Order: sequence, then C-alpha cells, then structure tokens
Amino acid sequence: MSIVEIAGATYAYQSGPRSEIVVDRIGWTIGRGEFHCLVGRSGCGKTTLLKVAAGLLQPTEGAVYIQGAKVLEPSTQVGFVFQTPTLLEWETVRDNVLLPISLKRRLRPQDRKNAAELLELVGLAAYGDRYPRELSGGQQSRVAIARALIVEPLILLLDEPFAALDAITREDLQNDLLRLCRLRETTVLFVTHDIAEAIYLADRVAVMEKGRFRHALTVDLAKPRERDVRYSPRFNQLCLEVRRAMDAA
Amino acid sequence: MSTRTYTWGLLVAFLAGWELICRATGVSELVLPAPSVVLRTLFDGLATGYLLPHIWLTSAEMLLGLATGCLIGFLCGIALGENDFLRRVFYPYIIASQVVPKLALVPLFIVWFGFGMTSTVVITALICFFPLLENTMTGIHHIDPQKRELFRMLGATRLQTLLRLKIPAGLPVILAGVRVAVVLALVGAVVAEFIAGREGLGAMIIASQGMMDSPLMFALLVAITGLGILFYEATLFVEQRLLRRHMKGMDQ
Repeated sequence: MSIVEIAGATYAYQSGPRSEIVVDRIGWTIGRGEFHCLVGRSGCGKTTLLKVAAGLLQPTEGAVYIQGAKVLEPSTQVGFVFQTPTLLEWETVRDNVLLPISLKRRLRPQDRKNAAELLELVGLAAYGDRYPRELSGGQQSRVAIARALIVEPLILLLDEPFAALDAITREDLQNDLLRLCRLRETTVLFVTHDIAEAIYLADRVAVMEKGRFRHALTVDLAKPRERDVRYSPRFNQLCLEVRRAMDAA
Repeated sequence: MSTRTYTWGLLVAFLAGWELICRATGVSELVLPAPSVVLRTLFDGLATGYLLPHIWLTSAEMLLGLATGCLIGFLCGIALGENDFLRRVFYPYIIASQVVPKLALVPLFIVWFGFGMTSTVVITALICFFPLLENTMTGIHHIDPQKRELFRMLGATRLQTLLRLKIPAGLPVILAGVRVAVVLALVGAVVAEFIAGREGLGAMIIASQGMMDSPLMFALLVAITGLGILFYEATLFVEQRLLRRHMKGMDQ
C-alpha cells in the first residue's frame, strides 16, 4: 500500500504576467517503509516538489495524498529536515529536539525520555544540555534529524540535509539515517544533488530535470548497506545510469 | 601594559594638563575652573547632599521615560513587524514624527503637562521610542526563511512563532536598540530639563549659568557623564545576561 501519492502535481510561480512552471505534472508513489531519493541539479524543482509534498506549498494542479488523505497544509505526520539544521541557537539541544512537541502541548516525562533515547540513537546522548553553536556541523544535522523524528512521523522528507558536510561526516550520517529509518520503518523521500548519495541510500531513485521526472530506477543493492558497497561495480553502474539520465535530459 | 592602563593614563594626563594650564595661566574660574576645583565642588555637592535630589530626579525621569518609550516602541515594533499593512500605513508617519526635532516640542509639552517631571518624561519616552521600534521591527523581520518554514511545518500558531522564534532570534538587535535608547534618554532628559525643569541636573546647569558658577556647571557635567556611563554599563550587563544563551558556543 502506498503511503505517499503524488498525483499530477504541478507548481507554477506567478512572476508578473508570466507563470513559470517549476514542478510539471509529477506522478509518484512511495510504499510504506521505502526510502526514495530524488536527484537533480540545482534549480530543477526538486526542493519545490518536496515542499509541495510537505504541504508547505499548494500545487497549482494535481494533489498529494498521504494515506489517502489530500494534503492541504503541513501535517504532523510528516517530518521535514531542511538544508541547514535550523536549530534555535538559544535553546538547548534537548529543547530543540522537543520543539515539535512543546509547540503542541505541555511536555510529559515520557517526551523527555523519548528525546534522550533519540539523542542516544544519533550519538549525542551527552550533548542534551549543550547549545547548538557548541556542536559541529555534523552534530547539528543529527539534532535536526532527531527533532524531525521525535513526533514519530509516518514520512520523513529531507532536503539535501548533508550537502554542507565533509565527505566522511556525510557517510556517517547516511549510515545513521538508514539505521534510524530501518528501526522505525519510516518512509523517506530524500532530495539530493549527489548521485552516489542517492544510490547508497535509496530503494528507488527518480531523476528530475526542468520540473519533470526523466528517469526512475530501482536500486537492487543488498541491504543493509555498508561502506564497501560504494566501491562495488554494480554501485558504479547505477551511478552511471543516473548520470546518463541527467545528461540526456 | 593593558589597554585599560592606557585609558586611565590618558585621563590622568588630561586632568594633569588641564590643572597645569589653569595654574600657569591663572585663567579665571568663570571661564575654565581647574579640575581640582571642579572635583571639590562635586564632592561637596555630594557630601552635603545638595546634588543628590537632582541626581535622583534626573535618573527617575530618565528611567521612567526610557521604560515607557522602550515598552511602547517594542510593542509598536512588533505590531508593525508582524503586519505589512500596518507598516505601510504608519511608517511614513513614524518617520515624520522622528524628523521633527523632539526637543522643539518641549515648549508645547509645557503648555500641555506643565513644568517639571511629566514633560521631561514624555520627551524622553518619545526619544527612546524610535530606536526600539526600528530595531524590534528589523529584528523580528529578518528571520532565516527556513526557520519560518520549520515553524509552519510544525503547525506553530502566529503567537508561538512570535514568542519562540521571532523575538528570541531578534533579541540581540532589539537589545542593541535599548543600548542606543539609554544614551539618548539621558541626553533627552537633561536637555528637556533645560527648558521644562525646575529641578534636576539639566535645570541646575541653567541655574549655575545664571549664578555664573562655572565650577558647579562643570561638576554637574561630570555628574551627568558619570550617570551616563553607569547606566550604559548596567545596560551592557543586563544585555549580556539576557543573551547568555545566545552566546553559547560563539567565540567571545
């Protein structure tokens, strides 16, 4: 059964008399617990599509359905991780993780326990009382992921969350993300411009160019994936396939 | 030697030079009283308690005006920062109100509120209003767009976004406005007293001029400067306390 269904979603910016189509009649479905990646160059409309899926933007045509219900506004069933960690610098790491809940209702002891557990899972158990600026970039990204997961969302949407990190840190975070999502059977749509990142993470990859999906492929690499898979011939073959699709578009 | 040593050394050298010039030239006390004379006058004024009511009054006027002006400026800044319509409608008027030299309004306020404290407090409040309005508006307006989207994504209400995101994020800018307001408030209070005051340090300066008592005038200037530095330092202290959490992890 599909959790997310993007049905002919189109998004156009109105700039003066002309309207510029950024997302062009996209159709896509994501099944429960699947990890999908969306690859494309900067400005291809992938971030806009993600915001449409999140309900932050309303499609000009078509619709997005989550568990069969039309998305009309941002929903708590959806966790969103932005390009930057977007942490509140004046609140502790723990309060940042608890932000989605504290905006909804009073905190309960159970919430604090959940937050501590999540921080443990992202390897920041000792950092709960620290402030975001005291953390490295990779640690801040981990806090952002923990914050998105605290409400136990059905779906996690990520918008190039690791783009600003160095290669090694990025690999660590990719592994952590895969582990967390497997643990909670979270459905994921992950946007990136990094082909290798997409292949490593995803069950399915869609290649986007000028607002349209040009190519889609299923990644048949064994799971759980570990570092060595990055150097396998099949991995490179898949990367090349995506690259060719991007060039052809 | 630390820079602090140089700062104090400069003061000592300046005072010594001043003292020396006064003694060497024998210039009249009416024109330029020697620092020793000024300090003695100041000390006597403080010791006999003669200056104290004036210091209290000016401080009280300044603080009342500062608090009122900052509070109203802050609230208006939030209203205008949150509402584009209000900002477009009112901003030209606010600019106009700031271009009017406010001290030129003192005679009018004397007609409205009479001589004394009320007029001075109103002027001081008017002067403090603008930096707070401007900085609050700017502070809560320039928020990282992704953080705004985060709050939208989390279904935060407008009030929650204001209280948990915009005001805390804008706090450093807002407090910089308070710092500017503190300095302006003292100037405002003293100058307003020139015209509208019967008591207070500003009124005393005018009185000392009438009495041709230059040492007293200089002593009052020193007292006002001291007061200004005290309030400024106090503001810095409060600011650092309020921004303690913002500063965590930032290179000092």
